[in-house]
Amino acid sequence: MSRFLVERDGQTRVRLSEGMELTKSQSVLAVLGLVVLFAVPDITRLTSLSFQAIHRGILFGLAAVGLNLLLRHTELVSFGHAAFFGVGAYGAAVLASHFDVSSGLLLLVGSVLASTAIAVLIGYFVAGYLDIYFALLTLAFNQVLYAFVLQSGYFNYSDGLSVRPDGLNPPTLFGLQWTSSGYDLILYYFTVVVLVVSLLAMWKLVNSPFGRALDAIGQDRTRARFVGIPVEKYVWIAFAISGVYGGLAGGLFALLQLHVSPEPTLYAFVSGEILFMAILGGFGTLVGPVIGGVVLVYLLIQAPFYVEYYNALTGLVLIAVVLFLPEGILGSIPKIGTGLARRRSDPGLLREDVATVGSSLRRGVSRAVTTVRIIVFGVN
Amino acid sequence: MLEHVLNGLYYGSILFMIASGMTIIFGVLGILNLAHGELYALGAFCAFSIVGFVAGQVAAPTGPATTIVFGLVVLAGSLAAAAVLLPVGGALEAAFIRPIYDRDEVYQLLLTYGLLLVLTDVMKFVWGPSPVDVGVFSAINEIPTTELVGFSYPSYNVLVILIGVAVFAWLAWFFDRTKTGRIVRATAINREMSTAIGVSTDRMFTLVFAIGAFFAGFGGAMVSIGPSSASLGMGLSWLVLSFVVIVIGGLGSLKGAFVGALLVGVSSRVVTPYYPQLELAVPFLLMVLVLLVRPEGLYGTWGEIQ
Repeated sequence: MSRFLVERDGQTRVRLSEGMELTKSQSVLAVLGLVVLFAVPDITRLTSLSFQAIHRGILFGLAAVGLNLLLRHTELVSFGHAAFFGVGAYGAAVLASHFDVSSGLLLLVGSVLASTAIAVLIGYFVAGYLDIYFALLTLAFNQVLYAFVLQSGYFNYSDGLSVRPDGLNPPTLFGLQWTSSGYDLILYYFTVVVLVVSLLAMWKLVNSPFGRALDAIGQDRTRARFVGIPVEKYVWIAFAISGVYGGLAGGLFALLQLHVSPEPTLYAFVSGEILFMAILGGFGTLVGPVIGGVVLVYLLIQAPFYVEYYNALTGLVLIAVVLFLPEGILGSIPKIGTGLARRRSDPGLLREDVATVGSSLRRGVSRAVTTVRIIVFGVN
Repeated sequence: MLEHVLNGLYYGSILFMIASGMTIIFGVLGILNLAHGELYALGAFCAFSIVGFVAGQVAAPTGPATTIVFGLVVLAGSLAAAAVLLPVGGALEAAFIRPIYDRDEVYQLLLTYGLLLVLTDVMKFVWGPSPVDVGVFSAINEIPTTELVGFSYPSYNVLVILIGVAVFAWLAWFFDRTKTGRIVRATAINREMSTAIGVSTDRMFTLVFAIGAFFAGFGGAMVSIGPSSASLGMGLSWLVLSFVVIVIGGLGSLKGAFVGALLVGVSSRVVTPYYPQLELAVPFLLMVLVLLVRPEGLYGTWGEIQ
């Protein structure tokens, strides 16, 4: 066995570093995913898919990866991640429009610093709370920030700030001034690199002793405290780290949109969307939130062009995920894979599936009808 | 100043009608219903159709007596509009929410958010994308109230404040004094035990959800009859504010929701004229303050949350 291949549980695994191993099928999927990521600009040129929407989806997905650190490991539901996303975006926008910083990388550094500071500050207050209180407290801080930005002249109220340092051209990337389409392309590849590096860092992190401690905190705080884990401090650190991810995503979002306004970056429902991306993609997985982000953002942005009732479409997708794919899109792939294999060998199972779906739908409808009858007529 | 306080009370009354439903649904079912704002909007749209219809059946008011008749007709119409929400709420609970009581709370949030989106489009399908207005507001203001004490303030707002108090009184009576209400509270405190003594928890949950939907719809009807109109996005900001109210009052506490709603309403309306930049932030600052000082809210809970 070479340095990169190890034998474990009777399977050959690709080993990237200590604790970071992939099975054969996972590595094939990972390589495939990377190729697809880098090929997106070409794919969108050849098909009618929207490049912008996918790019935005990846950015929101990156924020959702940060949120997933809390959701998956410490089992805390954060309803305020738009705060970091928005602060990141505004960090870049303020540097560009008030201080005329023209280097895109410096703007990103600014947004990460700003969002980290905010995350550290909010984390200090919320680290001791649990469950719904944690969710609502993060939501409250998020809304306070939103209200503050919306009412502040420095941030230009609801119109927001432009991310064009000289008022005309986009920021420079790697010291060069790009044309509009070149800028988008370079920014996209840069995003992909940032995404891959962030995912690897997150992977390393959750496999570190710190990540294990977070798992312990999520399972039982009291026990975690008994074995000597400083619970509040670790939750605080995890919160700050997820804020870094949010800020990075927000800063890239500012560079992509070249204009930052409060509604699409800071509003409480953006927080909700980031949370739902993580669940939609599969919050038990590392990469799931990114996929959830791309799918949800694509639905939200592109569906209006194709169907009139796009909200209902998104809503039905979410309801279907809750009822039929509880592990999310990526989390369900293994299950779907084995299910498909079994059905190929035994087509009779398909009829059973149809019957199951049919009967569960029928049961839902009949429950609803009975309830309505009871409410309207008083008897069943 | 008095006018701002009254504005705040009006605002708080509407807020209470929405938040009361959310808080009892959370207290009993253990579900934070994100679709509640849309139920409120649905009530507003139903009021447009139903109140518009019944108000057309009676003559426009000419003197004080006919004004009061007109007001009563409008009130009956908005009750009827809210009553539409009873079967709607019950059906939603039975079909969608009942299968996920045992699931993680993130799934419950995701499902109710999905319902929110679907409901928005149902309303868009039925009433169209542009806002609609009932337009009986000025006629109701003919009813004399504040003029009797030598002070000018829209009578409609005064009526809504009174209705808000009445709703609170009815809910308190229902949960404290009636048998059904006590059964609901027992179910909230211990689901298994109440099943064991023969209570159908499914029925109770459906009932609670329907009641919550009814009052949200009633609040919506009150708003769309009032100076503002029924529009598609109207539920969102109220939804977020209702979170604030029920957190300030204590999750699951009815009294807390009442006090919290009035507190949020009055503080935001009184502060706004002097510090307009604080308008949006005040409720949330209140919430942060309450959560940091008294995490369980002002009144704690009357039903244990599972």
